[in-house]
Amino acid sequence: MNRQTLLGLGFLSPALLAVVMFFLLPVVLTVVFAFTNMSTSTGILGGEYQISESDLRRLPAAGVREEAVEMLAGADYAVRADTLALFAAEFGDKRAQELEALHGGASFDDRRAMERALKDLRRDPIRSVRERKAAAELFRISILGQRFPTEAAFVEAITALGIPEADQAALTEAAYTGWTFTTQNFELLWELPATWRYALNSALYVVLTLAFNVGFGLFLALSTFYLPTRTAQTFRAIWFLPRILPPVLYVLMWQWLTWDQGFISAILRPFGIEPINWMRHTATHAWTFIVLINGCVGASLGMILFSSSLRAIPETQLFAAQVDGANRWQQVRFVLLPQMRWPILFITSYQTLSLLTSFEYILLATDGGPGRQTEVWALAAYHTALSNYGGNLEYGLGAAYALALVIIGILLSALYLRFFNFRDLVAKPRIEQ
Amino acid sequence: MRIELQNFTKRFGDTTVIEDMSLSVASGEMIALLGPSGCGKSTTLFAISGIHRIDGGTLHFGDRDVTRLPPQDRPVGVVFQNYALYPHMSVAENIGFPLRVQKLKPAEIKSRVGEMAELVQIGNLLKRKPQQLSGGQQQRVALARALVRKPDVLLLDEPLANLDAKLRLEMRSEIRRLQRETGITAILVTHDQIEAMSMCDRIALMKDGRIEQISTPAEMYERPASRYVAGFLGNPPISFVNADANGRLAFGDNALPLPSGIAAQGPVVIGLRPEHFGPQHQGPCVSGQVSFIEPQGREDLIDVTLPDGQRLRAIVPAGHDVALGQTVNWQVDLSRIHLFDAEGARL
Amino acid sequence: MTTSLKGNWLLILALSLISAPLVIMYGFQLIDSVSRPAPGGIIPQEWELTNWRFLWERIDSARPSIWRVTLNTFVFASATALLVCAFSITAAYALSRLNFPARRFFLAGLIMLHAFPTITLIIAIFIVLQFLGLYDSLIGVILVKAALELPFGIWIMKGFYDSVPWEIEMAGVQDGASRFRVWRELILPQVKPGLSALLIFSFLAGWSEFILPLVLAPGADAQVLATYMNAVIADDTRPDYGLFKAIGMFYALPVIAVYLLFQKRLMNIYGGGTKG
Repeated sequence: MNRQTLLGLGFLSPALLAVVMFFLLPVVLTVVFAFTNMSTSTGILGGEYQISESDLRRLPAAGVREEAVEMLAGADYAVRADTLALFAAEFGDKRAQELEALHGGASFDDRRAMERALKDLRRDPIRSVRERKAAAELFRISILGQRFPTEAAFVEAITALGIPEADQAALTEAAYTGWTFTTQNFELLWELPATWRYALNSALYVVLTLAFNVGFGLFLALSTFYLPTRTAQTFRAIWFLPRILPPVLYVLMWQWLTWDQGFISAILRPFGIEPINWMRHTATHAWTFIVLINGCVGASLGMILFSSSLRAIPETQLFAAQVDGANRWQQVRFVLLPQMRWPILFITSYQTLSLLTSFEYILLATDGGPGRQTEVWALAAYHTALSNYGGNLEYGLGAAYALALVIIGILLSALYLRFFNFRDLVAKPRIEQ
Repeated sequence: MRIELQNFTKRFGDTTVIEDMSLSVASGEMIALLGPSGCGKSTTLFAISGIHRIDGGTLHFGDRDVTRLPPQDRPVGVVFQNYALYPHMSVAENIGFPLRVQKLKPAEIKSRVGEMAELVQIGNLLKRKPQQLSGGQQQRVALARALVRKPDVLLLDEPLANLDAKLRLEMRSEIRRLQRETGITAILVTHDQIEAMSMCDRIALMKDGRIEQISTPAEMYERPASRYVAGFLGNPPISFVNADANGRLAFGDNALPLPSGIAAQGPVVIGLRPEHFGPQHQGPCVSGQVSFIEPQGREDLIDVTLPDGQRLRAIVPAGHDVALGQTVNWQVDLSRIHLFDAEGARL
Repeated sequence: MTTSLKGNWLLILALSLISAPLVIMYGFQLIDSVSRPAPGGIIPQEWELTNWRFLWERIDSARPSIWRVTLNTFVFASATALLVCAFSITAAYALSRLNFPARRFFLAGLIMLHAFPTITLIIAIFIVLQFLGLYDSLIGVILVKAALELPFGIWIMKGFYDSVPWEIEMAGVQDGASRFRVWRELILPQVKPGLSALLIFSFLAGWSEFILPLVLAPGADAQVLATYMNAVIADDTRPDYGLFKAIGMFYALPVIAVYLLFQKRLMNIYGGGTKG
């Protein structure tokens, strides 16, 4: 390995590390997570083994036979060191010692029997029935609600309960609280009508916004192209600001413009139009403003790019067109636009990808509302995995949503390679040694 | 320092641009690599400088094998076409950079930079930045920077291409003066035959990655080894006429006697320089019709179209009375014609 | 020429009309932050600075102080910008100028990464940060933001390196300097303007970033102005746009200042960044 190779790889390695950590690894993990049922309740690390009272009902469906379930449900009462300790803590050491002397090591099938045993206490009897009931509960031994850190511990516990071996595997699986591999995310996506709704929303969003971006960007670039420099600069600055203003502030301005005591409502009130929230009133309102909000940001990018490629067209061509008697529209139509084909194609493909996957402005503007009318695919992924008001964040399902976008992203960005004259780009460095 | 390039081969990817080329330059000699763009002359230069790897063959400076040496370790100074001055450094810093890399003491760097600046006559510009200099001055700085390390070899890559006509003339002699004064072995890469002929001891004319001919400028002009060489040198260029050799050289209605000592049979190509054809010469005649006259001041260039449609060009001193369309019967300086076979090799 | 002048006026009129909503929003953003409109109206009634009270008092006891949040934002934006620049100047140089194995592969990867919508990875990144124990910390978001900006930074810097003449590099090598020294002393000074543009750009990108801090560092300790402002807006049952706009003003001031100072350079990078 020569010095140049070493320097090259050395110079590249910090960036490479970052790319591996925050691009490659997440791409792989998105695939992996999409095939899991990972969520807040399973945690992201390994889980534990636990059967809760409420789990009992779903056990038969998981393949555990009724008698095993009954064994789990039917509790035993035992006077043992551990239960006595609990009893001692609440009812005093003396009583515990007496009970141990009387019934140490005994076990009872139901609570009544246990209560009877408690009645045997003579030195300091528990007189209240309610207290006796509570005391009896302390001797109850059951694995329900108990957490076992390993599979072995759980199996040992259910074996001790007398659960037949035939049911142990199914029960162990059902008791696992961590995440497991599954394809149910994709089945769910396929079945849920909402999925198609989100996909349709995304398509609508991309098409409308893109049309606005490209058309409007082109209009801005062409119109400012003909204006005197200072005027053109003013308009460009107005349209450039949405791009650099923080999104939170930018969307806030729109919120102010549209809320029921905002600018539009105030302006329209004298005309007898009821104040409404213009952004959230109906789905149509919401879509209009989502396209406008995103469009004004996107149009500025189009404007900048188109303006610079317009400036690259030699002025003499326009002079020639003028001499030939072409009016402005004809100049635009026959001289300028044909030479803008590449930038337009570029913006279109670039923004298709970014619009398809971005949700920042929608999140801030309508958060998918009203209802879920403006929920696009990317926002659905975010809501499912990262911001769920129900509290249970479904990472696995969210990753399945995201996986679709990741795959589209990879395909489209590979396509994007074609935009570059790759051969030029990888031209060999001219210093060879 | 003698330069010995032997069996040099250079590939870029799958394409071989130079195959099995050999070149030797004597110590203190200045040699030109001349040829059209894409002939491999710059590639050869960069291989000698070390910027390009040598894929096959060897390179010796004197007795030292430098084939595998990286450019940093080769005793070579290079002047680039665009001078490649470091824009953020002053003239003095530019010239001093190679010495700073060698970790010389600041005082010594200063004195050597001063010496060098005097040699190239820019002593008063040391504090300026490159963009404040004229093209010629930048060229001088580039020369000083290339020479300050006292290299064994000076390589010049199209050094005059970016200068205007007047400066080019000045720098031509200036570079030659510096090369003579320092006694350095130099290689000049150029596509300009006048530069090559006026500045160098010898010329290596290259075509498609091969050396077509290597000799002194006069020799190359007088005795071109091939039709290609004959066509490359000379301005206005040589005229070629296809002829049939059969005891004499016949073309159309015209014929010339075969020059003595040449035995040729069948189709040949006659090369005749404009300065060896015209009414002012002695020798056999060729007749044709004047088809074009281009006044040049001291002399005129006159095209004569032969009866078979081929064309000869003549240089005729001004003051003649030749008119367009006139039929002329002009002499050819027979001892100066060049004969090539159908493949273009000299007969 | 008269037709062209008339045409210009028509154009200006049309442009003014469609720009009006934006201009109104900018204008009232400024006005409302220092005034109070009549209830239900939009005309400013009184000029006052109470909207800026968040600067000297806590608007809500549960919220961190604005200065703490501003400091966080500044640390986040500048650390991100420095990281992006530091990694970009070396990686871009290697890709632009150095020979090493698999260079083609890395270049193709760079272009793909440049186009790749990074936001789709946020769920996985969220979990990666949990694994690394960097969740809900400023360091975590800084690393992620810097990494996600990196392909863009490398791409921009590579463009700047590509425009430095090869001959400068060759001359340096021929003068006896190592490639590292050539880079450090001869090439780096030539790309300084590009580097400063990238620095400004990445700073602004960090300053405005919303989603990453929202998802990866939602806690009060790592709050930045974007999430702070969003939380103030979201938690308010009765929108107080005067207060929101004052906070927004405070938040956007550095952005606008930088924009006014470096307008040209930024336009170039915004345009050139996505250009082939």
